[in-house]
Amino acid sequence: MKPEQKPDQQTLSSTFALRINGADLVILVLTIMLLFWVYNRLWFKQSSGKADYLVVQIDTQAPVQYPLNQKRLLELEGRKGKSIIEISQGKARFIHSACRNQFCVFHGWLSTPGDTTACLPNRISIAVKSHSVKDTEHFDALAGER
Amino acid sequence: MQLHFTTRHDDHRIALLAALAISIHIIESAFPSPLPGIKPGLANVITLFCFIRYGWQTALQVSLLRVLISSLLLGSFLSPTFLLSLSGALLSLASLYIVQWPFRQHLKYQPTAIGYALIASISHICGQFLVAWYFFIPHPGLFKLLPVFITFAVLLGLLSGIITQLLINTDTAKI
Repeated sequence: MKPEQKPDQQTLSSTFALRINGADLVILVLTIMLLFWVYNRLWFKQSSGKADYLVVQIDTQAPVQYPLNQKRLLELEGRKGKSIIEISQGKARFIHSACRNQFCVFHGWLSTPGDTTACLPNRISIAVKSHSVKDTEHFDALAGER
Repeated sequence: MQLHFTTRHDDHRIALLAALAISIHIIESAFPSPLPGIKPGLANVITLFCFIRYGWQTALQVSLLRVLISSLLLGSFLSPTFLLSLSGALLSLASLYIVQWPFRQHLKYQPTAIGYALIASISHICGQFLVAWYFFIPHPGLFKLLPVFITFAVLLGLLSGIITQLLINTDTAKI
């Protein structure tokens, strides 16, 4: 005769049994590799595309474009005062703005197509773009063609 | 005139599992999430359970029923939320099927629930992300969010995999 098993303990230990086999390990390793690749590719690497023009929008006025290849300082008059934007060697940045927090200045250089920064108190937003990078921004499923 | 349907045991099982998945989906949608797009995805546990225990046909029916009916109940039918939900569900099932296909004759070498859950959650978020990027926010800056989404998908996928394994371990032969 076998000794009687304790039914409660048996079911508990079999309920909480987690077995992992080789296929799971392969999936886990691939997942971790994917994670590293995604972080490396999207966060720590500069995108290859080069921006070639700057779009400036002040308040509700129509956006104005400036080429990025010539060095210049833009002095823009916003709602609160003056904002100064520097353009140099394919990059652009705020170097002064008439606002309290200076988030736009601390954002630093914009160089990758699609980079955007704004001074909300002064109602000025700037974005660098590229003619060669395929731009799908004029479409979305909610508004149709903008 | 009287309509008469004959239902089989399979239909009852699908109805029961779909009802469970819909309840979980609706309860889950009541909780706020830290970032739009990140939620535990516990309704996926039911889909995974169906997939592992009954095969992809049952899982497909259950997850389509869940997406359709819970969107009708939550009032998001044919809205962007519905499209995102549907695309995630379809892509995750498709990738589960692709992973299972080489092992369909060798049950021993198939991944367990944890492996399947990781695959399902990552492909779910990728499907949603691609649809969101292509149709709703076609801005390249959206890709900066992808690492965050995938990190959460891995963590929550492990969680739902463990829950699925516990569900399979318990005696569910009655369903």
